[in-house]
Amino acid sequence: MAEQKSPPEDILNVNNLSFYYGKNLALNQVTLPIRKNRITSLIGPSGCGKTTLLRCFNRMHDLYPNNRYEGEILMNSHNILEKNVDIIALRSSLGMVFQKPTPFPMSVFDNIAYGLKLKNIRNQNTLKEKVEKALRQAALWDEVKDRLKENATGLSGGQQQRLSIARTLAVEPMVMLFDECTSALDPISTQKIEDLIVDLKEEMTIVAVTHNMQQAARISDYTALMYIGKLVEYDETDNIFTRPKNKMTEEYVSGRFG
Amino acid sequence: MFSVTLKNQIFKSMCAFSAVSVLLIVLGMLITLVVESFPALRHFGFLNFLTTADWNYSKEIFGALRPLTGTVISSIIALIAAVPVAVGTAIFLTELCPDKLRRPIGTAVELLAAIPSIIYGMWGLLVFAPFMEKYVEPVVSASLGNLPIIGNFFQANTQGGVGLLTASLVLAIMIIPFIASISRDAFNQVPDMLKESAYGLGATRWETLYQVVIPYSRNAMAGGIIIAMGRALGETMAVAYVIGNRHAPLDSIFSPYSTITSVMANEFNEAANLQMSSLFALALILFLANFLAIIAANRFLPAKK
Repeated sequence: MAEQKSPPEDILNVNNLSFYYGKNLALNQVTLPIRKNRITSLIGPSGCGKTTLLRCFNRMHDLYPNNRYEGEILMNSHNILEKNVDIIALRSSLGMVFQKPTPFPMSVFDNIAYGLKLKNIRNQNTLKEKVEKALRQAALWDEVKDRLKENATGLSGGQQQRLSIARTLAVEPMVMLFDECTSALDPISTQKIEDLIVDLKEEMTIVAVTHNMQQAARISDYTALMYIGKLVEYDETDNIFTRPKNKMTEEYVSGRFG
Repeated sequence: MFSVTLKNQIFKSMCAFSAVSVLLIVLGMLITLVVESFPALRHFGFLNFLTTADWNYSKEIFGALRPLTGTVISSIIALIAAVPVAVGTAIFLTELCPDKLRRPIGTAVELLAAIPSIIYGMWGLLVFAPFMEKYVEPVVSASLGNLPIIGNFFQANTQGGVGLLTASLVLAIMIIPFIASISRDAFNQVPDMLKESAYGLGATRWETLYQVVIPYSRNAMAGGIIIAMGRALGETMAVAYVIGNRHAPLDSIFSPYSTITSVMANEFNEAANLQMSSLFALALILFLANFLAIIAANRFLPAKK
């Protein structure tokens, strides 16, 4: 799946990252790179820490008290886990899509324009252009172009999820974080979103948490298997699924545990 | 021993009887109000009764206009004063409050709702009204009172602080817990994922609250506000203590005035004939207003399951 021989540059570097919910250790000394313009899948059984890791990238954990990071995540050789990091700016450069669609209670247009307005883009023409671009990128434009003024909660589940993706794309993030974003969708909607994610890597870097091993094998260039807060193995997806180095990886990808 | 089917039958009929009796009681009250108010409404005519300002025992002319405006204005002022405080309380409790403070403040809000209204009345008369007279009225009449045209409406009165504004503010305190607890429940219903989506796009806490949490909860909040308004419209004892019960034109927001409930509470004992019937007509108007408020609230509140 990864066409080039030499590995592409890293956009993020996770170094010895540990994370605590209160006193509970949820991530234990995780180290892995996130390659630019590639799709990295995080897989593993429930509770292994894959979502916890994903939420470290945009400091979502900071919203709740008593959470603590140790170690570092480097982005352009800056540690984004430091206290003085501008979290608002960080979050708009690392977009996140969630397990379930999360349309805001407003029109389709306003949903997509939301992040742009937060960045103080007020010019109506600019907004229109960027909204259309984001909807086209999310393969939703043709379905909603006549419904831009309707409330977004009236769209179907698959459309709502693509809306959530478009809303995140509109602010032009460098990295997209997908948290089991197809787990609530039917197979056809899932297929559309997988195609979309693969197309997106031309322009940005993608980290996707998934429960679904086939999905990881289908879409990602790199795969990381996690188990009880630790990284078990990280490699090119082909290697993980066909020539795993670790015994546990082999058992997990062949369905013998997890 | 009864058979199972017979037990079921008995249980079913008892439940049905209880449910139907509630309906019968409401209907019975409505019929009483209509029958008893009929002489007054026939004598004055319904529209005429609504639009007559006089309430004159010697001339035997009774009209609902003043009590009705008193009720409506005091409820509106109460809502204007209560909504920001109550919504602010709900926001604090759900989004900002440290865990340690959440229980004590939440309990205090609920206690506020548990205080009997006559206690609000006594507190209003003995503590709040003198406070209004001593500190609020001089300030307001020295500032707003100097405005052209509307200035007179903010002149202080010398009645010990009782009056329309005092009653409205006591009402406001009484309805805060309703709006606060319904808003708090509504805010708690907002999925974390929805809030995180806003944060994930780079929204601040305030932007998330104002643009996502509140719009998501607005129907439930509207329902809570209407329920609170229904409560304010019908509140009797507290208002009767602090409004001053005066049948005279409303010349200042501080002046003693009357509401539907205060007129009824004060005059029921000594009324007869046309006056008694007029009081029933007032009651009928209040009943209908409250009924409308409940219908409106049900349209907004999420369906209960």
